[in-house]
Amino acid sequence: MLSLFRIIKFSFQDIARNVWLSIATITILLLALFSINTLMTVRVISDSASKAVQEKIDISLYIKPETPEADIMALKSKIESSPRVKNIVYISKESALANFRDKYKNNQEVLAALKELGRNPLSPSLTIIPSNFSESNLLINELKMLDSQIIESRDFADNAIILNKINSITDRVNEVGLFIIAIFILTSLLVVYNTVRVAIYTHRQEIEIMRLVGASYSFIYLPYVVSAFVYTLLSIMIIIAIFYPFLTLLQPYLEVFFMGYNVNILSYFISNFWQVFGLQFLVILAINIFASLFAVRRYAKV
Amino acid sequence: MITIKNASKAYGKQAKVLDDINLSIDPGEFVSIVGQSGAGKTTLVKILIGEERVDSGQVIAGDWDITKISRREIPYLRRQIGVIFQDFKLLPKKTLAENVAFALEVSGGTPAKINKIVPSVMKIVGLDDKKGRYPNEVSGGEKQRAAIARALVHQPKILLADEPTGNLDAINANEIIDLLLRINKFGTTVILVTHNKEIVNYLNRRVVTMEHGRIISDQEKGKYLL
Repeated sequence: MLSLFRIIKFSFQDIARNVWLSIATITILLLALFSINTLMTVRVISDSASKAVQEKIDISLYIKPETPEADIMALKSKIESSPRVKNIVYISKESALANFRDKYKNNQEVLAALKELGRNPLSPSLTIIPSNFSESNLLINELKMLDSQIIESRDFADNAIILNKINSITDRVNEVGLFIIAIFILTSLLVVYNTVRVAIYTHRQEIEIMRLVGASYSFIYLPYVVSAFVYTLLSIMIIIAIFYPFLTLLQPYLEVFFMGYNVNILSYFISNFWQVFGLQFLVILAINIFASLFAVRRYAKV
Repeated sequence: MITIKNASKAYGKQAKVLDDINLSIDPGEFVSIVGQSGAGKTTLVKILIGEERVDSGQVIAGDWDITKISRREIPYLRRQIGVIFQDFKLLPKKTLAENVAFALEVSGGTPAKINKIVPSVMKIVGLDDKKGRYPNEVSGGEKQRAAIARALVHQPKILLADEPTGNLDAINANEIIDLLLRINKFGTTVILVTHNKEIVNYLNRRVVTMEHGRIISDQEKGKYLL
């Protein structure tokens, strides 16, 4: 107990008396953490944006105009039973017309043409939202095979092209994004590792003296492990204090930019707080301790 | 107290830095080990504190057979052999009293023991009024006295002084030597490694002379020969 107390005392004494070195070490840790979190933010935004666009893409089945609603509901239930379907929205002839009028309310020529026609030319439809966007092609194939006489149109060619393009772009963005993040994280961790080693290098004389006066190995190593813990904890606390206001400022701009889509970076970081910052704490702490022990070992050799 | 039998040491394929050394030092002796640079004096000190190992032979200090000592036992050996160096080796970010207390703290000394021993050794070396100063705020002589105080906290039976006056002017050097003589009077075996002719001749104690890793002379009440 006395030893533990002294180890902690030595560590805090060292942090306080080498205050500029401590500040420099924490600053490097902060820069690394800020870079990693910024890249994570970019990735979360691109991921959310891509998902938001995917959710906007639906597959519509147009039904013959004279079909009784009961038959349409039966077809709806049948399609809904597929595990590849997340949701189906039934749009009646009347709703389709109301939507059409609303969409073209500023285009008098279109509205005049509709009036000239004298009847509702639109068909009822079923708008199908896939449960898994990457399996949309399989769902389209399922719909094409559907045996039903009430379906007027099941031409999904345009949807298939768009779906394929979006899938391909998303995959590419994921690959490139992951690669860049991996390189960046690796660079940041190497910077952290070297910073800690340089910090320990400045203590080499101290380590030499410790072993000359008969300090046990735990007394030589553990104060640096405690310092590593303190530096990591402080860095994580500061990055949280900096990053959340930063996200709060960023969120309104994102809402304007992605108007109509659900992209909420702040709620992502709040709901994944422990996964994001807990993991960062553990990784940085591990690197910090490893670098400290490795560097101290070099100067503590008998 | 210290027995060295047929000890030899070489670094790699270079010539031997210690060549068949045989030396016996009794408890309470004050021995000067002299020789020019490269004679093997500092290597001998390093072997006695377990920093280096002999290639052959046997080295015994007190109850320790240093040739067989394990890595884990070295801190315990160093608590029983006080060492002082030419460059003082004080922790710059600790006060003189903290430097002295540090040697006790790292070996698990209780606060009561630290509070009792540190002021008394600071008084012995004449630094009781400067215990709150940092090493960069005191003279070279005072730094060396603080280093001696630190070496004394474990009440060692052996005190190794490796060129303790090398960085000091004549007045400070004499003060340090007088302090070492006083410590020796209390019964501590003192081994002084030096190439300072005036100091060795002034001491008029046992002198072991080394050259090219060998002992070429061992005289009671000797003089500096080289």
